[in-house]
Amino acid sequence: MSLGFDGLGAAYFDGDSPVAQNVSMHIAAGILQIGLDDGVILRWPVEEVRQLPDSAGGDVVTLRRTTDPLARLCVTDQNLLKHLPERHRAAPPKGRGRLAAWAIAAVAAVGVQIFVLVPLLADNLAGFIPPAGERALGEATFGQIREAMDETGLNPLQICEGPEGRAALEALVQRLNPDSEMRHDISLSVLDHDMVNAFALPGGFVVLFRGLIEAAEGPDELASVLAHEIGHVVSRDPTRHALRSAGSIGILGLLFGDFAGGAAVLFLTERLISAQYSQAAETAADEFAHRMLAQAGINPGALGDMFATMREEGGDANGVIAHLLSHPALDARIKAAHAQVDAGAVYTPSMSKADWAAVQAICN
Amino acid sequence: MSDTPILNSPWQAAPQPQGVPVGTSAENGIAVEFSGKRGALFWLALKTGFFTILTLGFYRFWMKTRLRRWYWSAIRPGGHAMEYTGDPMEKLLGFFIAVVILTFYIGILNLLLMFISFSVFNSSVIGYLLSFAGVIPIWFYARYRARRYVLARTRWRGVRFGLEKGAWGFALRALWYWFLTIITAGILWPRMTFLLEKYKTDRTFFGSARLVQGGRWQMLYRAALPLLVSLLVMAGAAFWTLQVDPVFDGVEIDGEALANEIEELAAGDWSGFDLNRPERLLLLPLALAGILFGMIYYNWASKRMMANHKSANGIQFASALSGMRVTLIYVLGNFIAYLMLLLGIVALVFLAAALFSGGFTVFEEIPGAALMAGLPRWLSLVLLAGLYLSFFLLWGVLYNTFVTFPLMRHMARTTSLPVVVGLPLISQRARDEFAEAEGFAEALDLGAAI
Repeated sequence: MSLGFDGLGAAYFDGDSPVAQNVSMHIAAGILQIGLDDGVILRWPVEEVRQLPDSAGGDVVTLRRTTDPLARLCVTDQNLLKHLPERHRAAPPKGRGRLAAWAIAAVAAVGVQIFVLVPLLADNLAGFIPPAGERALGEATFGQIREAMDETGLNPLQICEGPEGRAALEALVQRLNPDSEMRHDISLSVLDHDMVNAFALPGGFVVLFRGLIEAAEGPDELASVLAHEIGHVVSRDPTRHALRSAGSIGILGLLFGDFAGGAAVLFLTERLISAQYSQAAETAADEFAHRMLAQAGINPGALGDMFATMREEGGDANGVIAHLLSHPALDARIKAAHAQVDAGAVYTPSMSKADWAAVQAICN
Repeated sequence: MSDTPILNSPWQAAPQPQGVPVGTSAENGIAVEFSGKRGALFWLALKTGFFTILTLGFYRFWMKTRLRRWYWSAIRPGGHAMEYTGDPMEKLLGFFIAVVILTFYIGILNLLLMFISFSVFNSSVIGYLLSFAGVIPIWFYARYRARRYVLARTRWRGVRFGLEKGAWGFALRALWYWFLTIITAGILWPRMTFLLEKYKTDRTFFGSARLVQGGRWQMLYRAALPLLVSLLVMAGAAFWTLQVDPVFDGVEIDGEALANEIEELAAGDWSGFDLNRPERLLLLPLALAGILFGMIYYNWASKRMMANHKSANGIQFASALSGMRVTLIYVLGNFIAYLMLLLGIVALVFLAAALFSGGFTVFEEIPGAALMAGLPRWLSLVLLAGLYLSFFLLWGVLYNTFVTFPLMRHMARTTSLPVVVGLPLISQRARDEFAEAEGFAEALDLGAAI
């Protein structure tokens, strides 16, 4: 039995010349016969005929044969389509191995870049930035963080300026760090945000959050956090970190493109704040803090107390902090701090009760 | 061709060499039809956009392919649809290749530039500028490569288009012409437009036929007239209202004086606000709108003029594109798309307030407000992120429906080929394998345009 179809408006293109040929179409014995004007009859088995997807209009359907990448048959008779059972079947995938290879290469390139090359370069370059440049880097980063953390979208996050609290903090810095031989003076700021955290930035910036002051059980714990962050400043961890993110921001922007470019920048800001330095860098900053507190006559065990306090408060700390606090190394750090307490030494509180009250009220 | 005709018909004539048909429609030329429905495109864009969000962006290669297939098949010169044969997989592959190459360039370069910028200049501005400048040549390079890819995957009547290699040549020329344009304060802009278009057109093929860009660059000055007039009006208005006959009566206005006058104004006292015919200030926004129109007009009128001078052996193009119409499409379409985005952002802000404030007093009366405030924080975040992405999706869909679609339709319907006698002389060209597809353009975020 042979079925005939309407060839009006139909055209065949041989894939070589851009000239339409009129056709007559029949299906017999599972073969689509395409008769051309010059008498040639093409035979396409119906299961080898595919329809081009996502076509606009719908009045004309373009068909092709799986074995021929070029020839096209445009038909207007929709009845024909019923007899082409495989017309929507997708082409078998090809070149998957190559795709997988490049996908792995891309992931590896980004990985090597972010985890090896950029840190290596940043660590080495950090030592060569002149102090003024480091200071400028810190200022720029501080501005970015204040803007990124603002929730109203209007002003950068407020710096707390209570004069008595500021004076008390300045005095504390002075006491901890009496004869500074560092590259930078320490610039201490308190940000009006309830996150329980503190961080250091290049160029001697140390930033405390209001939430940390509220969580601290006494001035010694605050002093211990300050000493720890000064330890980071001295070893220039923040400078390395800022240079690293300068390298990483471009890469992440490249990967996510317009889809989530803004999110990548936010993510990096988050990383800057929560400052996940290496374990070695943290231990070094802890040890620096122990020495600094002991020299200033403040109980070095306070650092351990602060960690313990933060762990208790972990319930309402945000996810990143909670993760950090659940880290098993924290126990070791608390023990290390308590081991530094000299039973024979006389420790004095890091500031007077009045000063501590002023610091607690610095954001009011 | 792999499909050998089976010569089994007894009355089959011997194959005849095909001559140029005389007196058929080929002599009268062909028009371009556009046959897609806006609604169909809307659903296709919505569906593929939705998948893109679900797959965190990976489906965008499929989305772009499917949208192009649709647009191409809607454009029908002489009644026969164009065909887009690009493959999403090769786009994904190209993206990976570009990522491998570009991460090193961008990552290391950015870091070094930041270091130098802070070490030498104590500021990040120089670093950002240099890092931006470093990407510009790659940007032009990627644009040319993307065009080559799209043309290589475009067919009409079964015959491939193509663009010759020459991306670095294009990038170098583009940089040089931009430099000339900037140092001549824009006077040589039409020269840049023309020569860059000529560079691309002269390397474009349809099958075996090479296209040629004719005409001269000076002809484009006519397209720049509205822009020029608007600029002159702007300069004149600024000069008039600020220098010759100032609106602000010569007294220097500082912040305090201004605040005082506004206070008096609020009290109903106009006397302090002694402006000299302030209605003349309206000229400035008018001129600004004129400049915007002039820029769109120049962009598209120059395309029309150059299209009218494009030809191949025995084929000519003609375009009746209307600069006014295109401007209207841009203004209206963007208005609709951005209105949607604005509405979405407002809704988002209100929802965020309801979710995180623990219920403002304003929201307490709304049923369900307390319920929303009681949701776990992560769920609220997921909800907000989902909404945020949905509004961007909807913006993209509306942009496709109300800007790209009418633009494509207008372009198609105003284009024609008055002379096509050369068509039968054309034969197929070889496939351009082109492993990295439009990966660079995708990675550098140039792929937003179809």
